Amino acid sequence: MKYLECRQVTKRFGALEALRQFSCAVEKGEILGVIGPNGSGKTTLFNVMVGIYSPEEGEIFFQGHSISKLPPHKICHRGIAKASQTIQSFLEITVLENLLIPAMYGKNLGAKKARAQAESILNFMGLQDVQDLPVSEISLAKRRRLEVGRVLATGAELLLLDEVMAGLNPHEVEEALRVLQRIRQDGKTIILVEHVMQAMMQFCERIIVLNHGEKIAEGRPEEVAQNPEVIQAYLGRPYA
Amino acid sequence: MMGIGKRTLVILSLLAVLFAVLPALGLEGYRLRLLSLVFMWIALAGCWNLMSGYTGYIDFGPVTYFGAGAYATALFMIRLDLPFFVSLVLSGILCAFLAFLIGLATLRIRGAYFAIATFAAAEALKQIVLEGDRVVGFEFFGGSHGLTLPVPPPSEFFYYFLLAFTVLVIGISFYLERSKFGYGLRAIRGSEQGAELSGVPTLSLKIKAYILSSSLIGCIGGMEAYWLTYIIPEDVFNVLRTIQMVIMTLLGGMGTIWGPVIGATFLTLVGEFLGTKFVYDYLILLGIVIIIVILLLPRGIVNLVKSKRGGAQ
Repeated sequence: MKYLECRQVTKRFGALEALRQFSCAVEKGEILGVIGPNGSGKTTLFNVMVGIYSPEEGEIFFQGHSISKLPPHKICHRGIAKASQTIQSFLEITVLENLLIPAMYGKNLGAKKARAQAESILNFMGLQDVQDLPVSEISLAKRRRLEVGRVLATGAELLLLDEVMAGLNPHEVEEALRVLQRIRQDGKTIILVEHVMQAMMQFCERIIVLNHGEKIAEGRPEEVAQNPEVIQAYLGRPYA
Repeated sequence: MMGIGKRTLVILSLLAVLFAVLPALGLEGYRLRLLSLVFMWIALAGCWNLMSGYTGYIDFGPVTYFGAGAYATALFMIRLDLPFFVSLVLSGILCAFLAFLIGLATLRIRGAYFAIATFAAAEALKQIVLEGDRVVGFEFFGGSHGLTLPVPPPSEFFYYFLLAFTVLVIGISFYLERSKFGYGLRAIRGSEQGAELSGVPTLSLKIKAYILSSSLIGCIGGMEAYWLTYIIPEDVFNVLRTIQMVIMTLLGGMGTIWGPVIGATFLTLVGEFLGTKFVYDYLILLGIVIIIVILLLPRGIVNLVKSKRGGAQ
């Protein structure tokens, strides 16, 4: 039994096929990268996995059970959580409260235990100094960290991280990578979508390349980087 | 996390006791009724705030339940000869059921569409009560003639009833500030998708909040029917009641404990004061007051206190 498996998943928006017959499997504890040019279907893939969209065709299995028809909160309870590129934090409440909500609802904890969980994530993500500030008042780098923290606080075992390093400077990317390394050491399974190639090459064990909603390559990072089809998708035919 | 300070709890309890003994100390007549009215609007605005303030879903049809509660209480008392409190509880349950049905249909849509749908529900129910008898050819709702209820007890009864409801609604707001349910609702207001992705069952929480708010509003409607002894659809389903709940909460501060309390007290007292001094043009003046407050404090009067505190820290 695969940990997560997509079988022939298709998602359409009107005439546009954002994902076409996409299949993949993820092993427990693996770090999988998904890359592709803009509009290739990476975010759609994540959104289908967490239940924001349900696929028109195909099915997704998590730990042997189909999750394609479940709403996002139920998928979260099963143990899959997504950090979004468009940050989904709750702006008006404090950083600590932002972590309290996923701890209460994702892990189904009572107030006291949820608070302990939220505080431990707060320390883990290095956000103690801003814990009582409303999210609207903290920097982008910290908001990105909070978004990852929100996902961790749900207690999910499979983390889908969608461009969590977007807009960060090189120093902040280094820091984010260190955090990801520590999450990895905790035995979590991670699927990462990122445009920061340095991060992808360094961090992922396997990479899937999407183009126009289809998988065009899959393999170890160095293999994928040499793949002519991938080079063509990114840079055009003359470079392939 | 915001906790209730012991001091706040003591001050609130003392205030409740003070208001409870006021009639014994000689409060009566006009002042007693005015204070009852203030309590009624605090409770109504507070109920509206429980749903709309905390989830950010602007409900433009709370008067659906105010009217339904008023009519249900009246009908239980007149047609079935039931005592007031039994009628009231049954009306609350009926409103909860109605809110479940309307909520299930409307709470999947957002923003202006939700507001329009709830507004339409209120208007539809008003028309049913107004025209229902004529359509089926059977005297039940009383149509535009309205219904007359049995003779009510003295004003003190309603004063205590409304005081108790005010305490109850403020108590629920305190609960929402620190409970899992309240955090879930505020997550919905912050980002509904973010809430779902964090494991919050958004639809079920919204329906629960809507049922809670609507059944309490229904009970207050039932109380008012008994207090006034005579109800007509144009009055108990009047959209102005909805607007008043909305404006009071916005003036005070949405999604806060004290917003509806401050907004309702302020608007009721200012309205009453202007109404007695300027009998013919007090509504114009009231409008000007509302505009000034909103221009100066767009996030509500309660934020004046909050931002001052924030500045001092």
